[in-house]
Amino acid sequence: MKLIKKQIPLAIVLVFGVLTLVSYYVPHKLSVDYIETMNKWENIVAAFAFLLGLVSLFFSHYYKIKRKADGWGYSLFVYVGFLAMVIPAFIWHGKQTSELGMTSLGWAFRYIYNALSASMFAVLAFYIVSTAYRSFRIKSAQAFVLFVAAFILILGKVPLGQIIWDSVLGWTGQGVDQVIEWIMGVPAVAGKRGIMIGIAIGAIVTSFKIIFGIEKQYMGKD
Amino acid sequence: MSETWMIAGAWLAAGLTVFLFSFLYKDNPFFKIAEHLYLGAGMGWWFQVYLYNIWEPKVWKPLLNYDWTVLIPSILGLSLVTQFIPRISWISRYGFTFMMGYGAGLAIPAGLSTDFITQIGGTIKPLSAMASSTPPAIFNSLLVAFGVICVLFYFFFSVEHKGAVKRVSNMGIYFLMIYFGAAFGNTVMARFSLLYGRFDDLYTFSAGQYLYATQFIIVGMIIYFALHGFLTKGKKEAEAAH
Repeated sequence: MKLIKKQIPLAIVLVFGVLTLVSYYVPHKLSVDYIETMNKWENIVAAFAFLLGLVSLFFSHYYKIKRKADGWGYSLFVYVGFLAMVIPAFIWHGKQTSELGMTSLGWAFRYIYNALSASMFAVLAFYIVSTAYRSFRIKSAQAFVLFVAAFILILGKVPLGQIIWDSVLGWTGQGVDQVIEWIMGVPAVAGKRGIMIGIAIGAIVTSFKIIFGIEKQYMGKD
Repeated sequence: MSETWMIAGAWLAAGLTVFLFSFLYKDNPFFKIAEHLYLGAGMGWWFQVYLYNIWEPKVWKPLLNYDWTVLIPSILGLSLVTQFIPRISWISRYGFTFMMGYGAGLAIPAGLSTDFITQIGGTIKPLSAMASSTPPAIFNSLLVAFGVICVLFYFFFSVEHKGAVKRVSNMGIYFLMIYFGAAFGNTVMARFSLLYGRFDDLYTFSAGQYLYATQFIIVGMIIYFALHGFLTKGKKEAEAAH
């Protein structure tokens, strides 16, 4: 049983990990075909992984309704929202437009999903402002640098900010656009590169640990 | 789509937008309805995306053409669903290990080429072309190289941060702060551009051709909050009197 439960899954990781890694560096038709096939397979498995999340969500809200838990009525709207997107998708075979114009799927996307999604993220703008107030309380030289970088970025992207910059700092001969370009292209790039190099090293080491079975927490217990 | 559908859509979009924004005042049933609807609609949208972009063309159609190889990833994928049955949940390991193995094998060359070698190359390359560069470009190249080294020192924990190492790693914090500040500023502006988009939609739907959807919904919400506040206040006063 240990073979089926543990050793074969670990062998799958090793085989697919090594083959994928080697295929990337071997310029042969076989390796190109292998990567293409695996990419397709990965898409299929990932689609089923989505199904796992969907079933889990449905179960969780179903039990909430069944137990008449607090706020169970809201759970019904999860199913309403799901059906509002899926039924038009079945009718129009996933097409948002047809020769007649916008389909009911396009309508549902435009007036339900897009409206909800954009509003949900737009609400965050208000919370970001309150976070900015807290984070911009300058307590150290490092916090001051963060504040200045963020302030210039925000200032330079609104017309009023550009007018203020030109009237106050116009004598320097540098427009706020040029300053933003320099910040994004020089000091911010240095910070970003340091982080990216660190992340890359971490990701590579973790990947090797996964391939060779040193890291296997994703397999769960037992 | 007929004009009636457009008007219905305007009322729905304006309503859902106002319901979500109402959370800024306080938590309320309308916000919770919109929140749950968003969850369901999001799952519905992605379900149909996977259905018509993956399951149908990459699983169903090949099977109709007797391409049985697609059964392997399908079975690996279906194995994930055994997570719901504790007695046989170990079967899901087959699907997970395939994804982990393939993902790890792909992450190594991708991380090496894009995040590691390209970033180091981007830092060093301008230095090799200094002879033909202008003084500001030389300064910028040196500053980037200096900043990258300082940031890497900040993340290097194999030596104790004291003396010269501490000074260099402290300089790294300044470069990180500039990056974080710039990233924060960009995030704020991205969120605000979404907000302008929502306001623009609300303004559009406030027109006569949409039967003043925005105004009616906002007034309705104000009446709800006023009535709710009035009734709750009455209840609280009665409870306090007891």
